[in-house]
Amino acid sequence: MTMTPSWLYYLCAVLMLAAAAYCLISLIVKAATHRGSGWDIDIAHTFMGVSMAGMSVAQWAFGARVMWEIIFAVLLTWFLARTLQSVRHHGVHLSHFLVHAAMSLAMLLMFRFPVRVRGGSPTGSMSLSSAASRLDPGLAFVLVLIFFASAILTLDSSARGASHHTPRGSTSAMSASGRPGSAPIQSERRFGRAGGVRGLADAPRLEDASHVLLCILMGFLLIVMI
Amino acid sequence: MELPDSTAPLAARASRESECDAHRAPRDLQRALLLILATLWLLDAVLQVQPSMFTPGPSGLSGMLNSSASANPGWIAHTITWNASIFYHHPVLANTLCAVVQFSIAFGIVSKRTCKPALALSIAWALGVWWFGEGLGAIFTGGATPLRGGPGGALFYVLLAVLLWPSEGSDQPFVAARTVGPKAARVIWITAWALMSLLTVVGSGRSPRALHDLVARMNSGQPGWLAAIDRHAALLLLHDGTPLAVSLGVLCIVVAGAILLPPTLTRVALVLAIAVFASIWVATQNFGGILAVGATDPNSGPLVVVLALTYWPLTAARATPNATAPDSVVVAKVT
Repeated sequence: MTMTPSWLYYLCAVLMLAAAAYCLISLIVKAATHRGSGWDIDIAHTFMGVSMAGMSVAQWAFGARVMWEIIFAVLLTWFLARTLQSVRHHGVHLSHFLVHAAMSLAMLLMFRFPVRVRGGSPTGSMSLSSAASRLDPGLAFVLVLIFFASAILTLDSSARGASHHTPRGSTSAMSASGRPGSAPIQSERRFGRAGGVRGLADAPRLEDASHVLLCILMGFLLIVMI
Repeated sequence: MELPDSTAPLAARASRESECDAHRAPRDLQRALLLILATLWLLDAVLQVQPSMFTPGPSGLSGMLNSSASANPGWIAHTITWNASIFYHHPVLANTLCAVVQFSIAFGIVSKRTCKPALALSIAWALGVWWFGEGLGAIFTGGATPLRGGPGGALFYVLLAVLLWPSEGSDQPFVAARTVGPKAARVIWITAWALMSLLTVVGSGRSPRALHDLVARMNSGQPGWLAAIDRHAALLLLHDGTPLAVSLGVLCIVVAGAILLPPTLTRVALVLAIAVFASIWVATQNFGGILAVGATDPNSGPLVVVLALTYWPLTAARATPNATAPDSVVVAKVT
């Protein structure tokens, strides 16, 4: 018999909600300051954090399954379109939007092929068993590898003083390009001239941290579902 | 469909330029391989927090650890069962500690400041896992065939940590030579592949029945397509296990010697080694059992592939780590 520690799922759920809360704050600040960059990623992260928290702790779940499926199908389409847009502008490359498309696909699959919570314990101690139609473990494993690689690359970018979310600015790359005109944009983004909540929402490292967190937790859930 | 871009034109332009520049700038190859290693450690860490790992008693991790003691010499078996008893009595604490260490290694490798301590920790940890978790890779039980992951996936983590230890210098003739030097790197390569060659033909490594059972045992709990591959592989090994084992042994010897050949021939041998070990990873190692339940690591397949990549012969232009100089400048500015 597998004994699942409920604290582990609570911990995951709390971390997911923390990431979702940060992205929601960031989204609100961007809307208030009329900044258009990265809002789609914030929306996606918010939905992902909230819905995965519901997967980890049964009683924190809300909304119909079909609602989440529609949301993540729309997000998947959106990020695929943004990937194509990026390829059209910059030539063939691995756009960061592709990772967000993969994350949306994973969420869609997790709702499409749910695992049954045996006993339905309200504590969140989930003994997961496969549903009749099961998510292909091979596909799940490929997605896990993509998310973990993305988490590590994002951490690496962050450690080098750049945000992996390239559309929001990339310190190293811009400095490497030697264009003095780009420097003020970055330093404003990197260090955040505005303090308080706005400064918090402007912090690239927090953006990266929320992405890393969601990648790892999504990978964990996929492994548990395998 | 109207897709948004950055609102500020300057920011949008900078963003586009930055993305293009980021794609143009070649990455330091040693660093890139370290990031792959970190990804594998992250996978290990997350596998460690699977629900089944926290299960107390013999059906949990302690049972898995105990099984690696069987057929080992008495004193080695005793150390393994002693370690397993800790997991038997304190599964949550012990397993959480294991996960924390592996997360620390994965995240530590990524940061340049903590990379060396993390690699040192990974060496110590992997040696511990090799002893207590893998039963010394089953070397003393005669079952350490590379088809099963022999001489132990954990040893490859040690090897990679040593070869990818961060250092300045040229990546010529290959990345593995950057830290330990070309001569020592070649000796390590030849030793590793010679050992794998030996393990394919000693003990149960060339026994068709043992090889068949090895794959057949993995079959349980695998998805349909992988179970089908297993069935074919098991039948193949039952009928032609010995010739296949000898062929693999010969291939390992060829790959070992290829490091002394001209770069073009070395590349051919490396491609062959990567293809064969990628196939082994799928067909006999079953991705380390990750697609079933209760795997703790992806086994040796991907690590052998990364090892082969560290020995990929480089041209003089690509081997210059100064290609990443702009990054270094930025790090200095930012920190």
